[in-house]
Amino acid sequence: MSAPPTSDAELAQARALPPPAPPVVRPPVRGRTVVLGLLALTAVAWTLVLSQAGTPVPRLAEVGERALGLLTAFAGAGQDAPPAYTDPERLRLVGRLAVDTVVMSVLATGLAAVGALLTVGLAARSLAGGPGADRWDATRRLLRRLLLVCVRALHVLTRSVPEVVWALLVVFLVRPGILAGALALAVHEFGVLGRLGSDLVDDVDRGPLRSLRAAGAGKAATLTYGVLPQALPQLITLLLYRWEVTVRASVVVGFLTGAGLGYQLRLDLSFRRWTDVALVLLAYIALVWAADATSSVLRRLAR
Amino acid sequence: MTAPVLVPVRPRPGRRSLLAALLGVPFALSLAVVAGELAGSGGAAAARSLLVSVLRPELSPAFLVTTAEATAVTAAYAVAGMSVAVLLGVPGALLVSGVLTRRPVTRAVTVTGGRGLLALLRSMHELVWALLLLTVLGLNPVTGVLAIGIPYGATIARVLGDRLLDVPQAPLDALRAVGASPAQVLLHGRVPLAAASLVTYLAYRLECAVRTAAVLSFIGLGGIGFQIEIALADLRFERVWTLLAALVLLVVTVDRSSVRIRARYIV
Repeated sequence: MSAPPTSDAELAQARALPPPAPPVVRPPVRGRTVVLGLLALTAVAWTLVLSQAGTPVPRLAEVGERALGLLTAFAGAGQDAPPAYTDPERLRLVGRLAVDTVVMSVLATGLAAVGALLTVGLAARSLAGGPGADRWDATRRLLRRLLLVCVRALHVLTRSVPEVVWALLVVFLVRPGILAGALALAVHEFGVLGRLGSDLVDDVDRGPLRSLRAAGAGKAATLTYGVLPQALPQLITLLLYRWEVTVRASVVVGFLTGAGLGYQLRLDLSFRRWTDVALVLLAYIALVWAADATSSVLRRLAR
Repeated sequence: MTAPVLVPVRPRPGRRSLLAALLGVPFALSLAVVAGELAGSGGAAAARSLLVSVLRPELSPAFLVTTAEATAVTAAYAVAGMSVAVLLGVPGALLVSGVLTRRPVTRAVTVTGGRGLLALLRSMHELVWALLLLTVLGLNPVTGVLAIGIPYGATIARVLGDRLLDVPQAPLDALRAVGASPAQVLLHGRVPLAAASLVTYLAYRLECAVRTAAVLSFIGLGGIGFQIEIALADLRFERVWTLLAALVLLVVTVDRSSVRIRARYIV
């Protein structure tokens, strides 16, 4: 409504019109509903979880006693065999297994990165159609859309299933070892990098892409000279972050695929060789921290 | 979509090739290490039956009920684990970010000590935690919940703490100039400024918790992973695919609904 009506005719016309709809104002905070909903959900979840079968939860004093017992066993108290920390052969073994674990994680990240680099171009909306793509006829554009949906679905599928489940499947297909572990890690990591990578590619500045297309560049050339120079530093940063995560997960995957520190942890736990368990855990934590430091140095280099 | 981040593209050939070498050479070496394992790892028959069974996943009513139960248990472990993680993570975030302490000395002590403790708790994978908790607490649901809650709590504390610090400083300075205490700066400055990113991160961790909860069968607790292990042990691949589909559906549901809740209530 602009100026107020002046004549009777205008007033009549204004009355005949439906009253203006009140502006839609959302209440600024409706968070209370969400919070209450989440609390109810949590209550239901706890009820369901606690109804699951299991041994009775020990009393707090007992928990403390057992935790203390475990820690002293880690330190080597009350055991006949000499602690593993003083055995040079054990130390050498753990060192070798740590190298295996690193190999597994590097291989997994590398394979996932290659797979993701080959597919992010297909999964990114910035490269599928849009302005400047009018030389593509309707059918081809539809096919590209279809391919985009398929690749995105593949990323979601591989990402949603955790490494450990992939490991259960992979040991059916590949001989247990470093390669099996690396493949299980790589499948999940491919999905993660694919999703995050295509988001990065979607967020690049479109200007250079348009000028490349206007100059007659094809899809591949646009990707190579337009997208990658912008997105590559961030992709590498992402890759290094994910490598840290992979190092952390590689022990668990190795537990199942029979390689690296994880497999040794499994053996030592089942034989209740507590000082060996402690040694493997220390090597594992040291490895995770070393990966953290290495990756932050390399990230600085990539920036 | 976030705003596009413009990355200055400067030709720095020396640094580039150094980085390429530092990334490429380890990968090539690791490929060389496993080259021997490639030969003769014959799983062609298993691969064939695994792939053929994709086309006919088991959809019998009885098995669908089993799948639904396993999915509900996995979701429940994830939510219960996240509740512990949030209870640990939010106070932890306030501690390690040092936003509530006024005296520099106290801050230095809590921040350094807190960060070291968090790094220790965070560095072990959830399932390694599960193995250790198993020996202390025994095989019961609480073990599974804490195995998610403790490392997730440490990660959440670290990330939320960083995000509370990474807010525009000018509004905070304005609050301080009118005499706001650190608690008031937190409540009226940092939290509103960081809210969207905090909620997004918590939702992302919930999605991760679902994946972790799915593999608590690692220590012998129920859920989707447990059913997958049974199905694989019986070579019932058609059941594996049904269970995997349920897991993917659960993760996608959590992802979608968190995006929707955020769009509706936060941004």
